[in-house]
Amino acid sequence: MNAPRRFGNLTAHVVAFCRRLRARGVPVGPREAADALRALGAVDVGDRRECYLALRTVLTSRRDDLAVFDEVFEEYWNPPPPDGASGAQSAPDAEAAGDGVQPPPALAEWLDDAPPAEGDEPLPAYSPVEVLVQKDFSTFTADELHEVTRLVVAIARRVATRLSRRTRAARHSARVDLRRTIRHSLRRGGEIVDLAYRRRRIQRVQVVLLADVSGSMDLYSRFLIQFIYALQHALGRVETMVFSTSLTRITDAMSEDDLRTALDEVARQVPDWSGGTKIGASLRTFLDRYGARLLTPHTVVLVISDGWDTGDIEILEQAMAELHRRAGRVIWLNPLLGSPGYEPICQGMRAALPYVDVFASAHNLESLRRLEKHLAARRR
Amino acid sequence: MHPEIVRIQSMLEDQGYVADQSLATSVYLAIQLRKPLLIEGAAGVGKTEVAKVMARALDTDLIRLQCYEGLDATTSLYEWNYQRQLLHIRLQEHSDLPVEIREREIFSEPFLLKRPLLAAITHERAPVLLIDEVDRADEEWEAFLLEVLSDWQVTIPEIGTIRAKHIPYVVLTSNRTRELGDALRRRCLYLWIDYPAFDKELAIVRRKVPAINDRLAEQIAAFMQFVRKTKLEKTPGIAETLDWSLALMALHHDHLDEAAVAETLGVLFKQRDDAERVRTQWLDHLLASVAALDREPRPWTQEMIDRVAGQGVGLPRR
Repeated sequence: MNAPRRFGNLTAHVVAFCRRLRARGVPVGPREAADALRALGAVDVGDRRECYLALRTVLTSRRDDLAVFDEVFEEYWNPPPPDGASGAQSAPDAEAAGDGVQPPPALAEWLDDAPPAEGDEPLPAYSPVEVLVQKDFSTFTADELHEVTRLVVAIARRVATRLSRRTRAARHSARVDLRRTIRHSLRRGGEIVDLAYRRRRIQRVQVVLLADVSGSMDLYSRFLIQFIYALQHALGRVETMVFSTSLTRITDAMSEDDLRTALDEVARQVPDWSGGTKIGASLRTFLDRYGARLLTPHTVVLVISDGWDTGDIEILEQAMAELHRRAGRVIWLNPLLGSPGYEPICQGMRAALPYVDVFASAHNLESLRRLEKHLAARRR
Repeated sequence: MHPEIVRIQSMLEDQGYVADQSLATSVYLAIQLRKPLLIEGAAGVGKTEVAKVMARALDTDLIRLQCYEGLDATTSLYEWNYQRQLLHIRLQEHSDLPVEIREREIFSEPFLLKRPLLAAITHERAPVLLIDEVDRADEEWEAFLLEVLSDWQVTIPEIGTIRAKHIPYVVLTSNRTRELGDALRRRCLYLWIDYPAFDKELAIVRRKVPAINDRLAEQIAAFMQFVRKTKLEKTPGIAETLDWSLALMALHHDHLDEAAVAETLGVLFKQRDDAERVRTQWLDHLLASVAALDREPRPWTQEMIDRVAGQGVGLPRR
């Protein structure tokens, strides 16, 4: 077996390698770099596969890192030989060249000071066909708005109370705190007179709303947005995002006290109202950007969409699978489900369905009212 | 290969675990660097098994902590033995000792019930501490665990700080029902265990079900490869493969055919929908794939299997 060809200064190379991993998004810091060196000290550095396995064990920490690691490893330790060079002591490449040889004590500092690689960060891209329309909510007549809002708020309240009652009932009731009970009883020679209680902190349900505001949803979205507004206000822990071709977080905008101000703010923030739909890509953005913070077994994810996806269906399916795995419950509200004879035959909806715990309609107030019974966090 | 890694690999194999180099290297490094090893992978790929085998190979005890939602510091660290305390208080009922002294007495080590974490750090020799399905525990507990794993000491208000006598070998497993925090991940070495490749699964079947005939073993291992390429609620793991092998043998089947598979589907698929879907939609395709493979020269290779699967004997794609 060949040793890694860059043998000159192992430390410098490991550090440069770690930096490359980090530039590609693998969380590798000084501690990992130091561990990598220790690990290489423990294995046979003459054995390429062994080095590979050792570095992989130490430097990755999640499954998604593995593919990136393999790529970077291949690039770094096994680059195509330069013309004419025998390859035995190939010089570090452009990126590593400026770093020189680093003594181990400088390792931590050096890694910390490494500037982030420029241009590696993927920037959200907008497709040229995207329709940039700002939504004008003023099309509601004052009366309509008032009436619908009143109803929607009432429903959202009920959904919210039901939700918190359920969570509480699902928890253990207060438990006896034996430790304190015994301490108290000590003073009475072991007679237990009062029981001391302790209460488990109630873990509240986190609700994430992902609402489709693309063109095909136009009819419903102005109505649903009010429901979302009301729900967010009644429930507290709600994060709200809207999407069509890209994803926008509107939680803060929606928390405005006045519905109209909130809607204006939302309309201002969302760039692609009534555009096409890339559900998969939008869900992916959600998972990557907010997933770690928002998705737990206590999370209820509510997707509101008709499932018409103009993007890649495979991306949608993968994103749904991940959503299903990481969230406590995935509810899909489809306004079309209310129409008689509707079958979820569009590709997007079909791909998403296997990963949906509850598939329900949301085309009128009655359907929203029925929502409350689905809003418990746990799947089983 | 490093002689130690070879030794670990053969130790694992002696214990009945078919270990590839990647697994053996991770176990070796976890021992050498004394860092916790986080093992992730789908259910049924043998994550928990690694810890058990590691304990046997190191000839030390295994202390297991099964995580669940609501697991808290008390149940994972220590609890007071209340019955014993009460009894003690009753026996001392007429003693003249002041309350403070009696209190100190009953909150002392003899009345302490050690739960897995405390047991692990106070063990006579470094044990293997298995923290199973850590993803099921709450985030708060994860933060608490992180503290124990970094300091190797715990503080009990009534007694004081207990420091680890020996730092245990720690194995954490996760089915990824919840994403673990970065801080915890980065404290650990990482190993991803995939479903086994054909060769490995065949070796496992032969080792664990020695009485099985070669043809059936090969067909089973190949069938599993094809099954895992289809989309299921719950993809069967190694445990299911072994159960299925035993079931087929118990029913005196020496090769796979429609009757044999239909009869035993419930062993392989624990979800009713899956069993149903396989029976009605995919069984023909799966068996056709195995039959196509049967026409290939032996020994079968992963490459052949992937080719047969790819040729689309009509197998629905994942």
